[in-house]
Amino acid sequence: MKKLDKRLLRSIENSKGQFISITIMVVVALTIYVSFSMVSDKLYNSIYHYYEITNFADIFVDSSRLPKSAVDDLLSIEGVKAAQGRIIFDVPLRVEDPKEKVNVRVISVSDEDEMINGLYTIAGQELEKGKKQAAVLQQFYIGRDMKQEDIIRPYIGGVEYELEVISEVGSPEYIYLMENEQTLIPDAKGFGVIYVPEDFAEAASGYRGSYNSIVIDVDKEYENKLSLVADDIEDSLRRYGVQSVVIRDDQLSHTLMMDEVRSLEVSSTAITVLFLMVAGIIISIMLSRIVKKDRIGIGVLKGLGYTNLQILSHYAKYSIAIGLVGSLIGIVLSIPVSISLTNLYIQYLNVPLFNTSIDPAYFLYGIILSVIFCLVAGLLGAKSVLKISPADAMRPETPKAGKRIFLERFSEFWKKLSFSWKMVLRNISRTKRRAFFLVLGIALTYAVSMMPMYMSTIWTHLFDFQYGEFQKMDYAIDFSKPMDIDSLFEVKKLADIDLIEPKVELPFELSNGWKKKSLSVIAVNSDTSMYDFTDLNGQEVFLPKRGIVLSQITADILDVDIGDTISIRSFLPQIDEKQIEVKAIVKQYLGANAYMDIELMYKIIEDKGVVTGALIKSDAQIVEDLKDVKNIGSVQSAQDMQDTLLEYMNTIIASMGIMMIFGGVLGFAIVYNITIVSISERIMEFSSLRILGFEKKQIFRLIWRENALMTIFGIILGIPLGYIMTLAIVTAVSTEMFVIPAIITPSIYIFSGVATILFVVIAQLATYRKITNLNFIDALKTRIS
Amino acid sequence: MKDNTIMKVENLSKLYQMGEVEVAAIKKVDIEIYNGEFVVILGPSGSGKSTLLNILGGMDSPTEGNVYMDGENIVSFNDKKLTGYRRDKIGFVFQFYNLMGTLTARENVELATEICKDPLNVDEVLDTVGLEDRKDHFPSQLSGGEQQRVAIARAVAKNADLLLCDEPTGALDFTTGIKILALLKEINQKYNKTVVIITHNVPIGAMADRVIKMRSGEIIDIKINEEPINPERIEW
Repeated sequence: MKKLDKRLLRSIENSKGQFISITIMVVVALTIYVSFSMVSDKLYNSIYHYYEITNFADIFVDSSRLPKSAVDDLLSIEGVKAAQGRIIFDVPLRVEDPKEKVNVRVISVSDEDEMINGLYTIAGQELEKGKKQAAVLQQFYIGRDMKQEDIIRPYIGGVEYELEVISEVGSPEYIYLMENEQTLIPDAKGFGVIYVPEDFAEAASGYRGSYNSIVIDVDKEYENKLSLVADDIEDSLRRYGVQSVVIRDDQLSHTLMMDEVRSLEVSSTAITVLFLMVAGIIISIMLSRIVKKDRIGIGVLKGLGYTNLQILSHYAKYSIAIGLVGSLIGIVLSIPVSISLTNLYIQYLNVPLFNTSIDPAYFLYGIILSVIFCLVAGLLGAKSVLKISPADAMRPETPKAGKRIFLERFSEFWKKLSFSWKMVLRNISRTKRRAFFLVLGIALTYAVSMMPMYMSTIWTHLFDFQYGEFQKMDYAIDFSKPMDIDSLFEVKKLADIDLIEPKVELPFELSNGWKKKSLSVIAVNSDTSMYDFTDLNGQEVFLPKRGIVLSQITADILDVDIGDTISIRSFLPQIDEKQIEVKAIVKQYLGANAYMDIELMYKIIEDKGVVTGALIKSDAQIVEDLKDVKNIGSVQSAQDMQDTLLEYMNTIIASMGIMMIFGGVLGFAIVYNITIVSISERIMEFSSLRILGFEKKQIFRLIWRENALMTIFGIILGIPLGYIMTLAIVTAVSTEMFVIPAIITPSIYIFSGVATILFVVIAQLATYRKITNLNFIDALKTRIS
Repeated sequence: MKDNTIMKVENLSKLYQMGEVEVAAIKKVDIEIYNGEFVVILGPSGSGKSTLLNILGGMDSPTEGNVYMDGENIVSFNDKKLTGYRRDKIGFVFQFYNLMGTLTARENVELATEICKDPLNVDEVLDTVGLEDRKDHFPSQLSGGEQQRVAIARAVAKNADLLLCDEPTGALDFTTGIKILALLKEINQKYNKTVVIITHNVPIGAMADRVIKMRSGEIIDIKINEEPINPERIEW
């Protein structure tokens, strides 16, 4: 081995604390980069492969009723390759525990060979025409612990049917299984999808000879123009009344999956870049210090005839070693991380072809990425090697310019300071750039620690708001078809209900110029006690007699403000488009909705006395009481939502814990390394102090005070930084389905501060040994580099 | 130029800018160094002798003048050629030894020989300097004299023609200093290396073939010693 390389290895050994702490940063960066990239790639590819083999639809149409002939008519539309009708309805499922509320979505399956949205059979047989059978979506099958040949009992139109479970299936339409946009968190026990033969669905639902849903496959060349095809389809079906025409990009499961892939990519990039950047800065600070310390050694090497390149690469190898060791460990760790991440996804998602796949290409990218990062940092840090002339290097270094610092102008203040505080302040002002980086590093640590605290409180807040403050009902019932308002009395009679209010929830398309959004408009009594509408400033809002109220996501999508007029178009047949004024924008984190007075709704739909559902306040378990009510599609209870959240919180808390550890690693590495560099730079100074009679503790206190001061500044800077980072995350994570409010409570600020201080203290204690082991006599006389 | 001239210095000056004023470290110096001789450059501190030695060793550049070695003017060398010059032609011994603390004695010597074309056998050189039993020790485990022996071995093992020594006894006690001087003399004779020593220590001049005296950047006297004395007889 070359002697310089030997020297390198020994100096790595002598500074193993620093080497390890920086390497850990690279390890974190690489583990995240490689595992997240592999998982997101695999996830994306599996989804699309799955779409291909199951022939996932490009366009989805919902209607109240369409004749079978309407489906064939669509084939004449340019771009439509195939269209299939089906019947979909949500009904309660009778289960053993009568108090438990389970809804299923029943979807009919025709016996055509070329299925759009084909079922992916995981186990069992295909559905047979004429039999009372059901194929059950995997998540629900597992969630409810089903077996083949089990009997399930959906309650359809007042009749309890018995269906035999014949298979466990996957569907591209329900990779992410959610009842609707407001539920957000999948609840595989409480909501599922079952597939039944078409003839059974027709008979049970009363849709004989007609459909209420169409799935459409478009020609390849039209895949980029789905909206245009969708418009034509809508025109073609208008006379039958269309509730919604959704293109694949807006389909619930697909959107969530793409969001998931995107968020994996975003976090992979963000965390990787953050950690590599910080590692890079530390490397460059450390190497620039090592080069300074080695000044004479470098002079000797040059004197011996070593070239600049040889010497520069000697130091750059230090950083390359960090990059290589870090990336190799990172790659090894990325494998178990990929496996657990994949398993976590498999728990919530249904992509039958999804598994852990190791893609060595990412190993290579990872190594290249981290080595380049480290190399550049190393060269930046060591570049002063070039400027050292061998003759100058032999002369003793000129002392650092010691001049009066800015604070000394305030002489009254300065005079009151103790000698050691003066040293602390002078030293900080002498190494401003490094002090700045230390402050920035501590601020980053603070901000990174803030993120998990914020995220774990915000989920609770989100749900507390939605199901506590905003929605006041305990239950929301949806009927399977519009009913007369009098049916509410019937419901009230059957169960222990404190209060019941009518609800008309219908799909509309709202538009402002070219900006459009199809959504559910919810109409309730103007004096409703089921919703507490508040505007974005927290002021109470009442439903106006004229005009519409939008949720904040809706207002953002349409880009409208209070006072603007928007167009509102019903999907019901024979109803004209109308203009309506936006009277208020209300706070609502989950879902894009619009609200209006029920009387106004009746005017718009030119109908009166109908309801599509009911809102109920009751402390009782009413699900059981209502089980025999005809036409109840689904019952949602606020309590169930909360319970689902609690289960989900465990996953959140685990991942937030990991984020917290990241913050700790960041803070430790920065503070530890900067302190070591600072100690090594001032070894002469400390040795002199030791000889003057300072105790080790007093010297440690000098450093401690310096870092304490930096920590205070760091936290002060960290507060706005954390706020900005939180806002950025909030913007990145918010989708068309939910917004995350940037509510940061004082306790988050305080806890982040405590965590930051803890990380700093740990790093500080780790450097204590360096001071106690300091041999000041040697330090003073040594000329060995 | 005599036939056996190894190095010729012509009209060499080095100016430093000290704030507003220019200070000359060396002024119009002319000297010749002959192959195989033992030269001592004497002068008090600030006389410019270190600057001269650094320029001769290719570690510093003059403001004016030429330095010829093997017919080439090293002053005109670019950085790359100068590096090659230091590598192949010069062995430099520093006042404070300047060893690499994380390398053993042998490794410190090998550090130098690794990049040379035709180095001497490292073990042999270490034996010559009297470090037979200390080869695998780290500098911190060696005395000052031993460290300086390693530094000399490092310069010698390169098998360069010219050995330049900057105050080689400056950091050593008397007895050790004498031993180092004797070693340098031995190397001068055994390996037929030209040795140039700079020092402020006047008695050392007595062991040289030639003594060049400097003061305030100028050469004030060049004296040939017909009978250089044995280093063991030097006293200061």
